[in-house]
Amino acid sequence: MEFKELSFSYDDKAFMEKLEGKIEHNKITTIIGPNGCGKSTLLSLLARGQKHSAGSITLDGKDIYSYKHKDFARKIAMVNQTNHISEDMTVEELIQFGRIPYKKIWKQENADDKDAIEWALECTNLQNYKDIPVSALSGGQRQRVWIALALAQKTEILFLDEPTTYLDIYHQLELLSLIRELNQVHGITIVMVLHDMNQALRYSDMVIVMKSGAIKAYGPPKQVITQEKIKEIYDVHIAVNEDDKTGLYIVPLSI
Amino acid sequence: MNKKIISFIVVILALVGVTVYSAAKGSISVGMMTLVDGVLHRNSEEVNVIIDLRFPRIIVSILTGAILAVSGVLFQSVMRNPLADAGIMGISAGASFFTLFGLLFLPSLFISSTLFAFLGGAVSCCIIYMLSWKSGLKPLRVILTGIAVSAMFTGLREALVNICAYFNVTVGASNASNLTMKTWEDVELIVPLGMLGIILAFLVSPWCNMLKLQDKKVVQLGVNIQLVRILISVIAVFLAAVATSIAGIIVFAGLIIPHISRQLVGTNHHILIPFSALAGAFLILTADTFGRLLIAPLEIPASTIMAVIGGPFLIFLLRKGDKLNGV
Repeated sequence: MEFKELSFSYDDKAFMEKLEGKIEHNKITTIIGPNGCGKSTLLSLLARGQKHSAGSITLDGKDIYSYKHKDFARKIAMVNQTNHISEDMTVEELIQFGRIPYKKIWKQENADDKDAIEWALECTNLQNYKDIPVSALSGGQRQRVWIALALAQKTEILFLDEPTTYLDIYHQLELLSLIRELNQVHGITIVMVLHDMNQALRYSDMVIVMKSGAIKAYGPPKQVITQEKIKEIYDVHIAVNEDDKTGLYIVPLSI
Repeated sequence: MNKKIISFIVVILALVGVTVYSAAKGSISVGMMTLVDGVLHRNSEEVNVIIDLRFPRIIVSILTGAILAVSGVLFQSVMRNPLADAGIMGISAGASFFTLFGLLFLPSLFISSTLFAFLGGAVSCCIIYMLSWKSGLKPLRVILTGIAVSAMFTGLREALVNICAYFNVTVGASNASNLTMKTWEDVELIVPLGMLGIILAFLVSPWCNMLKLQDKKVVQLGVNIQLVRILISVIAVFLAAVATSIAGIIVFAGLIIPHISRQLVGTNHHILIPFSALAGAFLILTADTFGRLLIAPLEIPASTIMAVIGGPFLIFLLRKGDKLNGV
């Protein structure tokens, strides 16, 4: 997936101008940057959530807007930052929506649909919860349900907008290792927005650093998350350390 | 699961019960056996009168209730607003005004009353969407817009009636519902149109279920959400128009029934739509029967009874306040 000269404006104000970049196949790409830098907007533009004002985004060599709605939903699935669902829907009923891109509304589920749902439940470790109302689940489980819904779409690319934001540290780690597993075992290309630089360091193959609607750096985490870069982007002094046990990690020092 | 089956059985039994009771009781009262025998063999003069005069009224009441309830379910789903109801939002008032218009100017068209009712309902619905879309169809905003739309069309209708009276043209004088003088002709109109609307509503029930997700998510699943919205709205307006053109304006049925039905059978529209249809049929037939028998030979219109029950119910829903944002 690639984007060229990508511009975006809202209310006639230019917000992003001529961004260039690419999303590598089978990799985990993480977008980081300060609040309001355009991380989520970039994610949304790539997933056709909002339309760019100029430039091009291509997927498998074709402009993303040349895909039909349903075809596109078979290519890219998205897990939003906030989700809402009515109270009495069960986990399985919700995940079944993930098959909408594959069937007419009144068609019964076929074997493919059943397999996809079963697989999504399995990946997210929710087999035992499929008949439970979503509202009865904890925050961590609920987030897994939304990922399962996206997985049922059987896409090659999965987008996640701040998937760990509302979770405690245990569920953050659980979720990130699930995402890594999806990438390494099932070969799904991951693009996500994260706030935590240490998580970005540990779980990404590539990092896009943004500020004020511009891409300031792109590359493997080690090259991108450095003292100088972070000072420039966030205006924060950090120390980047490395030891055998933990690998690379950062500690914020002062502003 | 059990609760759903029991709810279905109870509402079906209740509907059958009140239908039989309603058929047997009134200015001519017959026993159950006479009624059944008379219907089967056509050997009783009294029962023949009941078949001619009371049966159409019962059938129209049943269909009206079912139609209004299903229309309410669709409106609530498509607007994600638990207060949406054809009557409250002024869609029935629009339909009613346009029906009168049709009666006056194109009386020869058999289908014209329903057609004009549909146009009127659609106009009201468009006004509601236009005026409350930007605020995300917030429940209270929709209601306020609806009150304005309703007042406008009720006023226009009264003006039209008055102008006609000045020229000595008599038209349906009352804006209230009229289930009294229903004939088999009305039945022949409301049964096919009503059933068509309810079946269409049932066919789009997977879409109604899908609208329980946020718009963003629906779009991400590759669905043309505007098309889905328009289709569901058209069916809902059509249902409201059919009911209004034949039975007049009955407010609140489309509000009360879906609300109670959701409590009983949940929010899955495959189940909610048929259940609401049955429950709505039961409610309106009960209201009409009650109104007919309570102070006989005088009658209280079903719409009046519904207003008396529905008003407090709306207040109750409004008091639940924060629940209003999610259906």
